Amino acid sequence: MRAPGMEGTVIIGMGNPQLSDDGVGLAVALAVAERVQQRMTLTVTELNTGGMRLMEAMAGFKRAVVVDAMLSGAPHGTVRQFDPQDFVTTKNTFSSHDTDFATAYDLGVMAGVPLPEQVSFWGVEAREFDLFGECLTAEVAAAVPVAVERIVAQLVQWEEAA
Amino acid sequence: MARITIDPVTRLEGHGKIDIFLNDQGGVENTCFQIPELRGFEQFCVGRMAEEMPVITNRICGVCPEAHHIAATKALDVVFGAEPTAVAKKLREILYMAFFVTDHTTHFYALGGPDFIVGPDAPPSERNILGVARKVGLEVAGEVIACRKRNHEIITFLGGKSIHPVAGLPGGWSRPISGEERAQIEATARKNIEFARFSLSIFEKIVLKNPVYMEMVTSDIYLHRTYSMGTVDANNQTNFYDGMIRVVDPEGNEFVKYHPSDYREHIAERVESWTYLKYPYLKKVGWKGLTDGIDSGVYTATPLSRLNVSEGMATPLANEEYQRMYEAFGCKKITAARYEPIHHRLATHWARLIELLYASERMLELALDPEITSPETRNIPDPDRFTGEGVGSVEAPRGTLTHHFVTDERGVLTKVNMIVGTTNNYAAISMSIKRAAERLITGNAPDEAILNRVEMAFRLYDPCLSCATHFLPGKMPLTVSIRDSQGEMLREMRRKG
Repeated sequence: MRAPGMEGTVIIGMGNPQLSDDGVGLAVALAVAERVQQRMTLTVTELNTGGMRLMEAMAGFKRAVVVDAMLSGAPHGTVRQFDPQDFVTTKNTFSSHDTDFATAYDLGVMAGVPLPEQVSFWGVEAREFDLFGECLTAEVAAAVPVAVERIVAQLVQWEEAA
Repeated sequence: MARITIDPVTRLEGHGKIDIFLNDQGGVENTCFQIPELRGFEQFCVGRMAEEMPVITNRICGVCPEAHHIAATKALDVVFGAEPTAVAKKLREILYMAFFVTDHTTHFYALGGPDFIVGPDAPPSERNILGVARKVGLEVAGEVIACRKRNHEIITFLGGKSIHPVAGLPGGWSRPISGEERAQIEATARKNIEFARFSLSIFEKIVLKNPVYMEMVTSDIYLHRTYSMGTVDANNQTNFYDGMIRVVDPEGNEFVKYHPSDYREHIAERVESWTYLKYPYLKKVGWKGLTDGIDSGVYTATPLSRLNVSEGMATPLANEEYQRMYEAFGCKKITAARYEPIHHRLATHWARLIELLYASERMLELALDPEITSPETRNIPDPDRFTGEGVGSVEAPRGTLTHHFVTDERGVLTKVNMIVGTTNNYAAISMSIKRAAERLITGNAPDEAILNRVEMAFRLYDPCLSCATHFLPGKMPLTVSIRDSQGEMLREMRRKG
C-alpha cells in the first residue's frame, strides 16, 4: 500500500560508530547529507540493527538509502551497490532479534505501512569490525568519499527523474 | 523479495557455530555454542569520564540499548553518591517497561512464536513472522507494528532520542514529563495490556490447546532442574528496574538473596579447556560441569527463572496468568503466593508473555502515579558524596544485566566490568543444546531435524550475543559439527543463511 503524502528522502547509516569500520555506514550517511544540504533535505538516521527497525526507519519516506559495512570477502574498502531485487543482507541490515530486512519489508507491506518507492542499499567492505574504536581503518576511510560520490549521483538522478 | 545465494555475513568467524563432542561410546559428552566476542571494550572505556557510560554502553547492543542505558545510569548514581528522586526512578521505569513490551512482543511474534504457531517442522522459509501472520490472521502484522510504534514513541520522548536514550543522569533523569505526555503513556499502557492479553489468548489457543505441542513443552527434552535467578522488590516479587537478586534452588527454596553490588561474592566464572566461553555459576554451590541438580552451580536468568523466584506477580492480571501457568504444570504452592519452580524450558515462552502483561500493567500504574509529572527529576550530585565505584543492575529481557564501574577521584574510569543477560545462561543453553543433540544424533536423525531442534533449544533463552551475531528462525547460518573424543570431525551439518 502506498500512502499519499509520503515525501522526502532518508539516508540510514547502519552499524556501530564505536566498533571501528562498523561505523562506516553512518560516516558515509553524514557526509552525503553535508554534501547535498544546499540542494535537498535529507534525513539522516543512525541504526545499529536492521530487520524491523530498518523497515520502520524508512516508513513514511518516499525514498531511502541504506549504507552499511559488509563482510563479503571483497578487498577492504570496496563499495558495492546492491540491487533491491536480489539484496539479502549486509553486516547490520538484519536483526538477530527479529528478522531480515526482506521479511520485515514484506511484513510492513502486509500491515499497510507506507514504505518508500525507491530503496537503495550500499555496502562498504570492512576490515576491522569486532574491535572497539572510533576510527575507520585507512582502506575503509579512503572508501568514504567514493561511496559519497556514488550515492550523491544517485540522489541527483532520483531527483531529476521525479 | 528475492534472495541471492551469496550471504556476506557467513564470513563472520564463529557465529552460529556449535560443536558437539562425543565420548568413546558415541554418546554426547559436551556441546559448545561458539559466540563471537567483541574485543577491547574495557580499553575503549578506561580513561573516559564515567558519565559517558550510559551513551557508550547503549551502543554495545542494537537490541537492548535501553537496558544498558538504565544499568549504566544506575551505576553512576552510586559512583557519584546521588540517590535519584522518586519521580526520576519512576520515569526510568516507564521507559524500561515500554522497552520490555517491544522486546518481548518482538521475540514472541518473530522468533519464539514461529516454532509453535507455524510449527517446529514447518519449512524454514515459513517459520517467521510472516508465517505467524498467515496462521493467526493478517491483522496481527499491523498489531505488532502498532505496538512497537506506540512504545518507541514513548521511549523517544522520554529518553530524549530514538533508539539510543540519553536522558539518564547520575541522580535522576534529564527532564520531567508534561500532562499531555503522561496521558499518552497511559493510553499506550492500556493498549499494551489489551495486546498482551490478546497474545496470551493466541498462545492458549494454538499451543496450550494442542496436545502435540503440549507434549513437546512438557517432555523432558528441554528439562533442566537448575537454580533460578531474578530481581525482586521488597515483597519478593519480580521487578525489572530495581531490587535484590534472589536465587532459589531447584526445589524452590530460597538459596540466597543479595544486593546486586555483591555479585562477585555469589557468581564465579568457569573456564573449560574445550571452549573459550566462560560459564558463570553460583560460587557457593560450585561448578560440577554442564549438569543440573541441587549440587550443580548452574543457574538461569530468564523470564521463567524470574517467575520461579517471585512470590506471585505484583500486578493483578499478570498474577492470574502466573497462577494459571504453574497450575497447568501441576506445581504445588510452596509459599502463600509462590509455586514449585517450572524447569521445562519451553515454558519460558509462556513466562515471557506473562512478563509482557506485567510490564504493560506496571506501565499503567506508573502513568497513574500522582507525582509522575513532578518537575523534581534530579538530585544534583554532591562532591562530598562521590564514591568512585558503582554497580548498576536491571533485569534485561534476557537475564540480569550488571554494570560495574570504578573511577579515580576525578571520575575518570579505571575499570569496567559487565555481565550481560545472556552470559548468565551460557551453561544452561549448552545443556539444552546437548539434550536436543543426544536424542537426535544417536538416533541418526536427518540434518534438518537436528538443526531445528538445536535452534529451538537456544532460541527459548532469547540469546543476545552481540550485534555481530545473527540467529534467524529456520534460516540462520548455522554449522553443527560432531567430533569424537579426540576432537576429530565425524559429521558436519551446515545451513547457509
